[in-house]
Amino acid sequence: MGYLARHRGLVPYLLLGPGLLWLFVFYVIPGISMFTSSFWSGTLETGYTFSLDNFTNYTAALGRFQPQFIRSVLYGGAATLLTFAIAYPLAYAIAFRGGRYKNLLLFLVVAPFFTSFLLRTISWKIILGDNGIVFGPLKDIGLLPGDFAVLQTPIAVISGITYNFLPFMTLPIYVSLEKVDFRLIEAAQDLFASRLGAFRRITLPLSLPGVFAGSLLTFIPAMGDYVNAELLGNTTTTMIGNVIQNQFLTQNNYPTAAALSFLLMAGILLAVLVYARILGTEELTSGGR
Amino acid sequence: MATQPIAMGKPPASPIARVGRFLDHYLLLVYTGFAVVYLMLPVAVIAVFSFNDPAGRSNFVWQGFTVDAWLRPFAIPGLGDSVMVSLALAFGSTIIATSLGTLIALALARYQFRGRAATNFFIFLPMATPEIVLGASLLTLFVSVGQPPVFPTGFLTILIAHVMFNISYVVVTVRARLVGFPIHLEEAAMDLGATPWTTFWKVTFPLILPGVMAAALLAFSLSIDDFVITNFTGGTNTQTFPMFIYAKNRIGIPPEVNVIGTVIFAVAVGMVALSVWLGKRRQGREVGPADVFLNLHKQPREGK
Amino acid sequence: MSDQPVLDRPVTRRAVLVGGSLAGFAAFLAACGTSGTKTADPTTGPATAGPTSALATSGPTSAPTTPPSPSAVLNWANWTYYMDVDPTDDTKFKTLEDFKALFGTTVNYQEVIDDNDSFIGTIRPQLQGGQDTGWDIIVVTDWMAARLIRLGWAVGMDLGNMPNVTANLQDVYKGVSWDSTNDHHVPWQSGMTGLGFDTAKTGNLTSIHEFFDLKYKGNIDYLSEMRDSIGLTLIHLGKDPSTATTADGDLAVAEIKRVQDAGMAAVFKGNAYAQDLTAGNILLAMAWSGDIIVAQADLATLSFNVATEGGMLWTDNCVIPKGAVNQYTAELMINFCYDPKIAAQLAAYINYITPVKGAAEALVASDPEMASNPLIFPPADVLARLKIFVGLNEADEAHFNEQFATVTGLG
Repeated sequence: MGYLARHRGLVPYLLLGPGLLWLFVFYVIPGISMFTSSFWSGTLETGYTFSLDNFTNYTAALGRFQPQFIRSVLYGGAATLLTFAIAYPLAYAIAFRGGRYKNLLLFLVVAPFFTSFLLRTISWKIILGDNGIVFGPLKDIGLLPGDFAVLQTPIAVISGITYNFLPFMTLPIYVSLEKVDFRLIEAAQDLFASRLGAFRRITLPLSLPGVFAGSLLTFIPAMGDYVNAELLGNTTTTMIGNVIQNQFLTQNNYPTAAALSFLLMAGILLAVLVYARILGTEELTSGGR
Repeated sequence: MATQPIAMGKPPASPIARVGRFLDHYLLLVYTGFAVVYLMLPVAVIAVFSFNDPAGRSNFVWQGFTVDAWLRPFAIPGLGDSVMVSLALAFGSTIIATSLGTLIALALARYQFRGRAATNFFIFLPMATPEIVLGASLLTLFVSVGQPPVFPTGFLTILIAHVMFNISYVVVTVRARLVGFPIHLEEAAMDLGATPWTTFWKVTFPLILPGVMAAALLAFSLSIDDFVITNFTGGTNTQTFPMFIYAKNRIGIPPEVNVIGTVIFAVAVGMVALSVWLGKRRQGREVGPADVFLNLHKQPREGK
Repeated sequence: MSDQPVLDRPVTRRAVLVGGSLAGFAAFLAACGTSGTKTADPTTGPATAGPTSALATSGPTSAPTTPPSPSAVLNWANWTYYMDVDPTDDTKFKTLEDFKALFGTTVNYQEVIDDNDSFIGTIRPQLQGGQDTGWDIIVVTDWMAARLIRLGWAVGMDLGNMPNVTANLQDVYKGVSWDSTNDHHVPWQSGMTGLGFDTAKTGNLTSIHEFFDLKYKGNIDYLSEMRDSIGLTLIHLGKDPSTATTADGDLAVAEIKRVQDAGMAAVFKGNAYAQDLTAGNILLAMAWSGDIIVAQADLATLSFNVATEGGMLWTDNCVIPKGAVNQYTAELMINFCYDPKIAAQLAAYINYITPVKGAAEALVASDPEMASNPLIFPPADVLARLKIFVGLNEADEAHFNEQFATVTGLG
C-alpha cells in the first residue's frame, strides 16, 4: 500500500481500468465497426462500398421513419411518466414505512423479473384478452361494448412498457430516498412545516438523483423497445425499435439499420441532455462531487 | 421574554389535520398493497396457468386442472438445460459486472481526475444503445476475430455481452448511493489507526453494501431476463431460458415453462423472506458506544 | 439492513457468507453450464480437427479412401411441429430415435427457426466468413434457400449418399430454376396458405374475398410472411402470384393499404395467429394448413380451407450450410427421412404435405383416416388451385419487401 499512498493520483485510474477496458473492447470497437457500416452503400449480394457521401443514409432514414421516431418518444415518455407516478409512492412507502420488511418489499418489486419478460407479457395478453378474465365478464354484463379491445392498441403497448420498467424506476428512487436523514424532516416539522411542505422542500429535492437515474433507466430502453409493440400492438403502433429489427433481420439493409441505430442514440442523448439541464444537474450526472 | 425555555409543541390538531394524518398513515399502506398486487398479477396468472391442462399446445385458455406439469417439469427437452445456462450466466455476469462497476463508481464519485466528465458520459453510452445494435455489433466482432474464432459463440460470448451491458447499470445505481457518502467516517477510522485496506472493508464497504446489493440485484435480473443481445451473441447452440420461451411462444408455451417460472420466482422471494426472518431473530444483540458513534449519521427508522 | 449500527451487522456477515456461497455456486454452475450446453465439439469451428470432422466428407467430389462413418452428433435446426414426437415419451422424437438406433448418431434437434430472416440473420456472420454455423442441417423456405444458393452459402450434397431422395422425390419439386444442379436443397415439407377460422363463429368460409371484407375489422390477422400476404392479395385481385411483377406487387400493397385505411385493423403475425383464433381474439386469419390441424386439439371447431379462387403453396427445404462439420451424416439423415415408411411416420404427425412418393400408401395400412386427410394429401383439384410465389432476384425482392414494410408499419 505504500506505493499507492505515494501515488494517490493513480488510484482512480486503477479503479477504472478493468471496467473501462472491458467496455472499450466489447462496446467501442464493435460500435466503430457499426458506425462505419452506416456509411456503406450496396447490398449483401453486390457488396458494400464505403463513402462519406452516404450520410444520405441518415437523412433518408430520418425522413422515412419519422412517425416511428415520434411514436417512440411519445410512448417512451408516457411510459416513463406513468412509471414515475407508480414507483415514487411505492419507493417512498418502502423507504419510510418499510421497517424490517424493507428488503422483502424491495425484492417483491424486482421479483417479477425472475420470470421471463415474455411470460409476463403473455400473461398480460391473457389478462387483457378481448374475452378474457377482465373484459369477458364485463362484456357479459353489458358494461362494455362487445368490440371493446385493449390488446393491439397503443394503451396496451404503453402499459406493457410501464410494467416492464417499473423496477428500473423504483430501485434508484428507493436508494436515494433511503439515504434521507429523517432528522431533517423532523426538524422541518418542529419548525411547523406541514407534512406536504416538508416533503416538497426536503425529501423531494434529496430524492432527485434517484429520480433522474430512474427516469433514464426507464426512458432509454423504452424508446428502443420493440417486443411490447410487437406482441401487444398493431401496425399503427410500431416503434423505431421494430423498424431497426426489421431492417437488420428481414430487409438485411445494414447501412440503414446502422444509421437508424445511431440516430436513435443521438436522439436519446439529446433528450437526456435537455432533461439534465432542466433538472439543473451537472451534479447529478457527476455523482455529486 | 420568558427566562425558561417553553416547550413548543405542535398546535392542536384540527379535524382536517386528523383526517389527514389518518389518511397519510394508511394511504401509503393501501397504495403499497395495490402496487404489489399490480406487480404480482402476471406472476399469479403464470402460476395459475401452470396448472392448466391444454389438450393441444396452446396454454392460452383455461381448459382444466392438472398437476402433471408440476410432477414432471423438465419433461420438455431443452428446458432444464436452458434454465441452468440462464442461472449460470446471471450469477457469473452479476459477480463480474458488480465488481467492475463498483470500482468505477467509487472512482467517479470520490476522486477528481482528468477525464472524469468524459468517463461519466462514456459509461452512460451502452445504456443509450439499443439492444439490437449491441447484439449485432458484438456478434460481428466475435465472428471476425481470429480464424478459428478467438470467441466462438456460446456461453462465453453471452457472458461477455451480459457483463458489458451490466457494468453501466451497476455504476449508475451504486453512484446514486455514493452521493453524500460520509467521508469523515473513513478519515476518523484512519485517524484511529486503521489501514486503508481495513478502513475499506470495515467502514466503506458496509456503508455502500446496500447500494452494491441493489446494483447486483439489478444486474442479476437484467441478465436472467435478457433476450435480444443473448439471441445474437449466443449463436444458435446455447439456449437461455428466455430464448427457449421465445422459440416455444410461436406454437404455445407449455405449462412446464410456467412451472419453472413460478419456481424461480418462489425461490427468489423465499430466499429474501428467509433472510428477513433470520434478521429478526438476531435483533436482541447488545449495542455498544462505538455503534452509537458510528451510527450518528443515520437514525433507526423503526416504527416511522 | 441499513437500519442497524455498522458494527452490529449480522446481515453483513451473513451477506458475506451468502455472497461467498453464491459465488461458489456460480462457479459450480458455470463449470457445469459450459459442459451442459452444446458449446463443446460440434460448434468449435472447422479448424479444430476432432474425430467427427475427420470423418465428415468435405464435399461431393472427394472420394474418401475409407468409407465414411456417421458422426456421433448431428446438429439440426428446424421449425416447430416438424418432427414426430414419440407417443410413448414426449421428450423424444421417434424418427430421430429410429435414426440413432440404426446409425448410432445422437441428433441435436432444435426447433429454433420461427422466421427465415431472423434465423439466417443470427448465423449470417459465420456464413459470410465461411465458418461453421454450428448446424449441419437447416430448414428454410424456398426463397431463402434460393438466396443461400445464390450467395454460395449452401453446399452441394452428394446424391450418391441419398438414393431414397433420388427415387422418391415427387416430380413437382424437381427442376427448380434456383437450384440448377438439383443437389443444394431437398424439400422437407410443403404447406398451403389459406383461410383459417372458427366454424362456430363464422360458418364455413371459402372465398378469398373474405380477407378483405370489412365485417372482420378488428378481428383479422394477416401473415407477416410477405409472399403469403401479397400472394393471397394478388389472388383476390385476380392476378397470378407465380408470374407477378413488381407492378403487381405494388397493386397488392395498395389494396392492403386501402382496406387498412378503411378500418380493417388487421395485425401481421407469424404462427401466433393460431393462439388468437383459439382464444377468440380474432375470427379469421391467413393461416398455414398444418397449424390449424394442431390447433384443433385445443378448439375442435377450427377449420382450414384453400380458397376457391386459389391459395399459396410453399415448401420448406433441408439445406446443408457452408462450413457444416457433419455433412455425410446430414445426408444420411435426409436420406433416412425419404424412406416411405419413415416419411409416413413423419406425415402422420406433421400434418403438412410430404414430398415423398409412397408415403400415402405406406400410411394407409396404419392410419387410413390420415392417409385420406385432404390437408396432408391434397386431392388433385386442390393442388391445381395452389400457386407458388414467383422467384425474385435481389433487386425485386428488396422492392417487394420495402413496399410490404409500408403496410406492416415498418416503412
